[in-house]
Amino acid sequence: MSRLPTSIGAALDRLVDASPVERIVISIASLLFAVAVGAVLVLVSGFVTECDDPFVLLPGVGYGCYNPLEVYWTMLEGAFGSSSGLGRTLQETTLLLFTGLSVAVAFRAGLFNIGTQGQMVLGALATALVVLELGQLVPQNVVGMVIVIPVGIAAGALAGGIWGMIPGLMKAYADAHEVITTIMLNFIATGVALYLVQNHVGDLTSDSVLTETIPSVARFPTSISDSRFSMYALIGALLVAVGISLLYTRTILGYELRTSGIQETAAEYSGVNAKRNIVTSMTLSGALGGVAGAIYVMMVQYRWQSGIPALGFDGIAVSILAGNNPIGVIPASLLFGGLKSGSVAIDLSLGVPNELVDVLRGLIILFIAMPEFFRMLGKWSGFGSDPVGASGGEEA
Amino acid sequence: MALGAVFVGLFIFALWTVGLVGSSSISSALRLTVPIGFAAMGGIFAEKAGVINIGLEGLLIIGAFGAIASLYALSVTPIGASIWLAFAFAVVASTVVALLFAIVCIEFKADQIIAGLAVWLIALGFAPFASYIIWDQTNSPSVGSFSAWAIPGLSDLPVIGGLFVATPPVILLIIAVPVSWYLLNRTTFGMWIEASGEDPKSLDTAGVDVRKVRYAGVLLSGVYCGIGGAGMALTVGQFVGSGDTMMDGRGFIGLTAYLIGNYNPIAAFFASFLFAGLEALQIQVQQIAGFDVSSRLIGIIPYVTVLVVLAFVGKTQMPSSAGDHYESDD
Repeated sequence: MSRLPTSIGAALDRLVDASPVERIVISIASLLFAVAVGAVLVLVSGFVTECDDPFVLLPGVGYGCYNPLEVYWTMLEGAFGSSSGLGRTLQETTLLLFTGLSVAVAFRAGLFNIGTQGQMVLGALATALVVLELGQLVPQNVVGMVIVIPVGIAAGALAGGIWGMIPGLMKAYADAHEVITTIMLNFIATGVALYLVQNHVGDLTSDSVLTETIPSVARFPTSISDSRFSMYALIGALLVAVGISLLYTRTILGYELRTSGIQETAAEYSGVNAKRNIVTSMTLSGALGGVAGAIYVMMVQYRWQSGIPALGFDGIAVSILAGNNPIGVIPASLLFGGLKSGSVAIDLSLGVPNELVDVLRGLIILFIAMPEFFRMLGKWSGFGSDPVGASGGEEA
Repeated sequence: MALGAVFVGLFIFALWTVGLVGSSSISSALRLTVPIGFAAMGGIFAEKAGVINIGLEGLLIIGAFGAIASLYALSVTPIGASIWLAFAFAVVASTVVALLFAIVCIEFKADQIIAGLAVWLIALGFAPFASYIIWDQTNSPSVGSFSAWAIPGLSDLPVIGGLFVATPPVILLIIAVPVSWYLLNRTTFGMWIEASGEDPKSLDTAGVDVRKVRYAGVLLSGVYCGIGGAGMALTVGQFVGSGDTMMDGRGFIGLTAYLIGNYNPIAAFFASFLFAGLEALQIQVQQIAGFDVSSRLIGIIPYVTVLVVLAFVGKTQMPSSAGDHYESDD
């Protein structure tokens, strides 16, 4: 697998070579293309499914149930149009900030961490177990909360960090490619967590695989009525994003982390311990995934339960959409949080399966993976001098 | 060497496993090998040609969903529920997706890893989405499945006779393994595939279009995964779209099976069979009440094995130009 890093490195180079404006244009164009393909999918699906109130009749084809524009409008309204919708959106945004940053931190070091999902699953479990124990020992008031919640976050970060460190070590010292190892570790994490919860640490009286509910002292205080969203978690996530941005732009460690992953040999020559830095990057990435799990338990689910949403994979889309820039992750998370939150609304009110967002997630990743597509499109549409910008403009 | 030792160890373990659960389980292990083995062989063709196809899992999902959806759709047409026709549609569907992946990688020079991941994630979202559209739930109803074929004469043998009663996908797999090996190692096409991944420049100089060879490699991975996915779904008779879908990572196990098998279809098949054997064991264990090993822990053995192998072996003998774009000079 020794050549794999080169290919990712090259892709990163291409992205980095592109000017910031170009990258933003590529992201927006990719998003629009994904949304357009999604619209076609929705439209076609409408002719396959059955409904009482079709929106269009095509002679010879049949009734179409879904109007793509209405679907996207309902999505937007569902995401931002009500306080509970907004709460859900911001809740998703907070989680996606952490998983997106997790992927971005690895990407910055030239590493593709597909394992954020597993790091999150184990981080969530560690948090749930720690706060279940600790919650009984502390006073049931604000003081207890100030103790339990940070400890819970630390537990998640620790578990996720260790799980992220494994592929880091394997990459640095055994040259095992992190894409393969992190995918494997995702399956292992889920298997181990389910085993532990089902057989040892979970609520063994329940038929479902879940832990007991965490005490109120371990729950983030809610900020919006009808929602479990907490402003504290969001502010914390934003601060982490800014902090990571500063780490890369203002510190020597950040500089070393980047060069170690992208140009290991060059980094070694200049006296940097590249192997150690690869491990550090993956550990940091894993810790952020673990924190996402911690927040999920303490702000969303209030327990560990099987079927944790694939926020780790959403994080890949968020990070790539953000050009792997920690600050860019902020709007990308909000956008994706809105999509995820809005998908609940389209499912409820229009009967369009919310898996639509999962399709969009994949499409966004696919389009961003091929900047050349937009360059060609730009050339083809006749704006040769500023191909990327032109293509984006055309589509917008 | 280390790889060989691990492999031999695994094989002994698999024999022990099979011995533990009884020889009748070989048949069930072979059925479970179908998606893994076909994904592995498909991955070999794509990667040897120079395109790393990490989206094998997605192609399997498309194959499985395509087969069941086609069969369901066919049953309301005058044609009727023809399993083989549904099987063919599924292979076409998977191959079309592979073609799109090839275009994205070869024409638009996308990063192969990221694009392959996207293929998986799109399939992972699309299949349950479409299941809801068609069946109003993530899992399809039972729609019918392949019946087993008994090979005349051999199936009447005592003890091992059971091995010669197999479902068509298993028979296809047994045929595909030596055929793939022959294609890769004894034909001109195989040489082109090899050269396209190892030394595209020479292949180009020799007057062969590297692009076309790479397309062929990726398309073959689509055909194989279509067979593997459809083969599994039409054996089960249902599409399961909940969680990680019924494929549940089998494409990734296939991917690691060919890494462990060092890009040799025969070795990859044995590695796939080992992993499938573990799965068969896991199913057996679930049926023995009170047995103290959690099936969940057995379920993660394939993934742990891969990690151990990678930790000791690290890099595999990857084609030297896999993952790189090739630009012809003319």
